[in-house]
Amino acid sequence: MLKIENATVWFEGRDRLVHALDRVNLDIAEGDFVVALGTSGCGKSTLLNAIAGFLPLSHGRITLDGRAIAGPGADRGVVFQKDTLMPWLDVADNVALGLRFAGLGARARRDRARELLALVGLADFAASFPYELSGGMRQRVGIARALATEPDILLMDEPFGALDSMTREQMQELLVKVWHRTGKRIFFITHSIEEALVLGTRIIVMSPRPGRIVARYETDFVRRFAAGATLKDIRLSDRFGPLREEIRDILHADRDEKEAAA
Amino acid sequence: MTVLDKMTALDAPSAPAAEPAGPPPVRVKTFGLEGRSTAPISLVTAAVLLGLWWLAADLRLVSSLFLPHPAEVFHQFLVVARDGYAGAPLADHIGASLFRIGLAAALAIVTGIPLGLLMGLNRWAKGILDTPIEFYWPLPPLSYLPLMIIWLGIGETSKVTLLFLAMFAPICLAAQAGVRSLPVERTQAARALGATRVQLFRHIVLPSALPEILTGIRIALGVGWGTLVAAELIASTRGIGFLIMSAAQFLATDVVFVGIAIISVCAFAFAYAVRLAERVLVPWRGKG
Repeated sequence: MLKIENATVWFEGRDRLVHALDRVNLDIAEGDFVVALGTSGCGKSTLLNAIAGFLPLSHGRITLDGRAIAGPGADRGVVFQKDTLMPWLDVADNVALGLRFAGLGARARRDRARELLALVGLADFAASFPYELSGGMRQRVGIARALATEPDILLMDEPFGALDSMTREQMQELLVKVWHRTGKRIFFITHSIEEALVLGTRIIVMSPRPGRIVARYETDFVRRFAAGATLKDIRLSDRFGPLREEIRDILHADRDEKEAAA
Repeated sequence: MTVLDKMTALDAPSAPAAEPAGPPPVRVKTFGLEGRSTAPISLVTAAVLLGLWWLAADLRLVSSLFLPHPAEVFHQFLVVARDGYAGAPLADHIGASLFRIGLAAALAIVTGIPLGLLMGLNRWAKGILDTPIEFYWPLPPLSYLPLMIIWLGIGETSKVTLLFLAMFAPICLAAQAGVRSLPVERTQAARALGATRVQLFRHIVLPSALPEILTGIRIALGVGWGTLVAAELIASTRGIGFLIMSAAQFLATDVVFVGIAIISVCAFAFAYAVRLAERVLVPWRGKG
């Protein structure tokens, strides 16, 4: 269980303190696919950075299976929006980078990399270099790399934000497949309501200034997606549209309120 | 008219094409070189310059004391290659210079890279080492040449030290710039994959800084050749720089030209070698 209790973050801005995260409470259990949804500046990336261990909390605590998080570690795999593959390593070496840090031998690394590349559909690209791949393919390598060290949870910071909408849908399908097969917990950030609904078992809607959770949903669209339903089936299903509009209303009402106050 | 009719109407070509559909291909106009090769232009320029030199010498526009004829320079090269110059074979002169530059470059690389990386990573290292480096490196090597002689004597040590000092700064500064250009996300990614500090340095920081470091080495080698003549002013009996200075004292302009040509060929070869190293070590540079 990943437990987030009263997570609060203050940043030192140029001339004032910024309240980036306000008393966030969240549990992520085995098999959960939690999607944090919100506009930019709502603290969702701050929350992810805190879970990853890149950022300490001002108040509160985060524990993973009982251990307090003190810094980054291989028990939490991170997939970034920006391409963070190492350009001097080929795809297989990039995927196996965490295993190399863990001291695994060359053969074991290669076998594991091959396995993961097959999982993300890049079996034929083991010897390619990142600059030879498209954006979508690079993100697949990023996912395979994050899975290589067998992390307890996968943290994904708007991983498909920079992709075109066709590639994005392909990647969503791939991610659901990976989630279904590996049973990994996933914490996923997006600003797309549809993406949140299609992917999450649970959705937390966040609001800026200060960043906090304003609504929580549990959905089963992703389980139907995993069971073979197409994206189209899901989008056209009865509850999808109303739920999407409900969340949209929350986000808009919240923004109008903040603008009126400002 | 139905919708379908409209669509077919739109799809149909409006008029028979006047021009054949095919090449030539076009490209978007951009600012800059557009990646097109400049080699042919450079080669033609070189040929034109050589031709002008030849012409000026042939027509005796300038006294051969100032501008010897190209054929004369080439002849003098053959003479120097056969008989040597100032009591030593040409190979000894070239060898002496290559040894000094090579040794100084090796020392500058071995010290400049780790110190530069350290300065890029550690506040204390940066604070302490910045002062002496920023103080000395803009100085012309000729200005501290006398100090080198007084402190280190007239042997090889002072020459190699002078060259080393000239070459150290560009490499050290390049290594620092290499560390600074490291994207935050890249180090975060490595830390999230379980990298220790040592692994982070060895597997992420060093390769990330490599392109900048190689640029620094290329600049350093240029500076090194530029300082060579100054270094070999110090009581030398061997070296291309010495050969040039010695020939100048006898107004042997043609030998001066021979020396300059040898330096330029050597410097070009060094620069080319670094380019090859770049192609092998950082083929990913500037891509993605």
